[in-house]
Amino acid sequence: MEPLLRAVNLSKTLGTLTAVRRVSLEIYPGEVVGLAGQSGAGKSALAMMLAGIYTPSEGEIYLDGERLRPPFRGRSLGIEVIHQQPEMAETLDIGANVFLGNELGWPPAGRWLKVPNRRRMDREAAHLLAQLDMQYDSLRDSVGNLSSEQRQLIAIARAMTRPARLILVDDPTLPLSFGSQQRLLALIRDWQQAGTAVLLASDDVDDLMAVTDRIVVLRHGRCVATLPTDGTGREEVLSAMVGIADRQQLTPILWALDSYYRAREQAEKLHQRQAMIERDLGARNTVSRQLIDNMVDQIDALDSANVALQDAQRRLLAELELERKQLAREIHDQVIQDMLGVNYQIEEMEAEAAVTPGLQAGLAAVRASIRDLVDDLRHICGSLRPPTIDSLGLGPALQSYTRDWSERAGIAASLHLDPQLRRLPEAIELSLFRIVQEGLNNVRKHAEACRVEVRLEHTSPRALMLSIGDDGCGLAENFDLAALSAEGHYGLLGVSERVALLGGRCKVGNRPGGGTLLQVEIPHPRVEQGKQAE
Amino acid sequence: MSDKAVVVPDRANTLTSAVARQWRRLVKRQDFVVLAFFAVIVLFLSLYTDTFLHSQNLSSLARNFAWIAIVALGQSLVFIIGGIDLSVGSTLALASLIAARAMQVGLPVPLGLGAGLLVGVVIGWINGLTVARVRLPAFIVTLATATIVRGIAYGLTRGWSVTALPAEFLALGQYDLSIGSWSVPLPLLLALGIAVLISLLLNHTILGRYIYAMSSGERSLILSGVNVGHTKEAVYTLCGLLAAAGGLVMTARLGVAAPAAAIGYEVDVVAAAVIGGTSVFGGVGTTLGVLLGAGVTQMLYNGLVVLGFPSYWQTIGIGAMILTVVLLDYYRRRR
Repeated sequence: MEPLLRAVNLSKTLGTLTAVRRVSLEIYPGEVVGLAGQSGAGKSALAMMLAGIYTPSEGEIYLDGERLRPPFRGRSLGIEVIHQQPEMAETLDIGANVFLGNELGWPPAGRWLKVPNRRRMDREAAHLLAQLDMQYDSLRDSVGNLSSEQRQLIAIARAMTRPARLILVDDPTLPLSFGSQQRLLALIRDWQQAGTAVLLASDDVDDLMAVTDRIVVLRHGRCVATLPTDGTGREEVLSAMVGIADRQQLTPILWALDSYYRAREQAEKLHQRQAMIERDLGARNTVSRQLIDNMVDQIDALDSANVALQDAQRRLLAELELERKQLAREIHDQVIQDMLGVNYQIEEMEAEAAVTPGLQAGLAAVRASIRDLVDDLRHICGSLRPPTIDSLGLGPALQSYTRDWSERAGIAASLHLDPQLRRLPEAIELSLFRIVQEGLNNVRKHAEACRVEVRLEHTSPRALMLSIGDDGCGLAENFDLAALSAEGHYGLLGVSERVALLGGRCKVGNRPGGGTLLQVEIPHPRVEQGKQAE
Repeated sequence: MSDKAVVVPDRANTLTSAVARQWRRLVKRQDFVVLAFFAVIVLFLSLYTDTFLHSQNLSSLARNFAWIAIVALGQSLVFIIGGIDLSVGSTLALASLIAARAMQVGLPVPLGLGAGLLVGVVIGWINGLTVARVRLPAFIVTLATATIVRGIAYGLTRGWSVTALPAEFLALGQYDLSIGSWSVPLPLLLALGIAVLISLLLNHTILGRYIYAMSSGERSLILSGVNVGHTKEAVYTLCGLLAAAGGLVMTARLGVAAPAAAIGYEVDVVAAAVIGGTSVFGGVGTTLGVLLGAGVTQMLYNGLVVLGFPSYWQTIGIGAMILTVVLLDYYRRRR
């Protein structure tokens, strides 16, 4: 397929600073491309060049294979831009600002002497702003008194006034509330469905992972990586953004750290402090530069420690699963078969005529206990390695496990599975299964509940939410996850570690109506939904 | 007793504050202030002089007003986009000379008028091109153009005036139309017609929107895909065209095209626009305001003459008035 937009070796020098260095990029119709990079990485300068506003210092831009001569009018070619800072015509009102540069009127093809059709523009502007859930009094109000969020929403509406072929979204989320940010992400998905290509520049990896197909990472103006979103993870994108040189495998000696969460938390804090200090770096002297360098080194060390820890734990878990699988197979293929053989021998002995009635009763009792033993062993095999999970997948495995658990524990259990649930990678399926096992185990041991509900639902095409809620006694007021390990309870800690390894989030808390709620959100590669297969 | 003592001043206070609020709102509108000032001058001059209300004086006032108003309309457009055009006086002189020369050598009147207007368009376009593309300050660009154009006017005529113009052309400045029992000077109608067109342009076209948005929202226009350069060129070109049109009306009234015509009239044009409420900081200005501003300046001149002030002192009045209005505008913006 022909790319919609192709940029070849674009560079841009602003004053003495080279903002973009020889970046090449292709965007296909209906594709959402992420542009990741810290602030100052050259995302905005690149977007401005693609929009035709900046003239590149070198390089070429092609649209539909045809070379564009900058500066060109991107909007007339179907390229819309949502900028980082919303620019408004201060003397005009809200309605006029929404349609700025794209006024509707008569004659439709006219330019300057076109008579604006205010009523129609107001109607459409109101519709667009309602779609963005923006609050305002009147479209006739001047934009001068609006908040920066309202101004950004107007700027977003401006990009939607006519159908576009490519929308460049240049990190506009800073002035937006969380709700508006989510709405913008949903809009990007809608645009993609409609066949519009989107370039989303952002330094928020979660946003990028949520909607993009491909992530291009910029650092110091250079393109350092192009990663398919399905085949990468947060960590990889982040490390490409900040430039951690190599992931040396540190020895798992670092297990000695009491909890790598603390390390990770510290790294987060340091990251934040680094961002804050970098913000007014220009005014600082070299001492703070050194400080930042030190901090960056520390963060690098912590990050690589984390990576090593995570790798080690991942290996450990994988080996644990493998061992359980082998153990289950051995019990099933060897021990159970042997016991069944013994059972058969006893049966033969029973059939012999010389057996007295007393002995016969004894043999029958032995056979009954052998059968019980075999049942028990089968059950143990099932928990070691659920037989259905390899053949039928997570859903059926959970169904059979919860049914079985409910019977054994005497607690009513209901299971809600997302109808869109498809097969996932083995590690994710097993982890989710183990989390359910651990969660239900905890319910039986501690909750004193009579009802438990397990839900597994998609929160986006790339994330699953598992929640286990009961109506039991709930958690103690001063519940502390870290304190549990000190007392020798590792179950919940194990859950949260598994979740962290999969790059997800884990939350334990009390439900408002009483009882405990364990929520786990785990990202996974995109699953083709319904008919929308390739 | 104490209750009453409290209530009465309270009521008085709310009443006076409401009146004061309304008053402040009115005073904020420059149109209203100019209109009030206009009325005061008319009243004062009618009461204290015998000659002001004389039909000949009024007719002369209207004819002078017409060409100042036409040129000031163009200047106000440039002000609204945040620029200035100091070359209107020279443009006016050169356009009149070219038109007059063309008619003198026997070209038909419409072609002569067209030639004059074309001169205005070309000068305005060059101004616009330099300001918009090369991004030089409008002040210095138009000052240079003014000097060059004035030089061309002197060079072409070697300093002589062009006289003996065709009667059809002179009618443009001197003819009176009878509407009912009134006889209305044709230039006044021309000025009003042009004002209506400019008002339509400003308030009912896309270009008008961009003109108002330009001074404070140039970046937003660029980012929205509006060709800001072309818009600026269009406004300067329009200003040149209107300067030429004003010049033709003036020449037709005076019957002579002189290379030294309209020297120093830039001040009158700027005064008309600024006093009429057009902000030199851009973004604000109305056609009605410019007409009133042109009226006030012309009446001020006229009034000072009929009151018998020495003409050497007259410019002080105009200069002081420009300064006052710009200061008022500045303080209003700061608030």
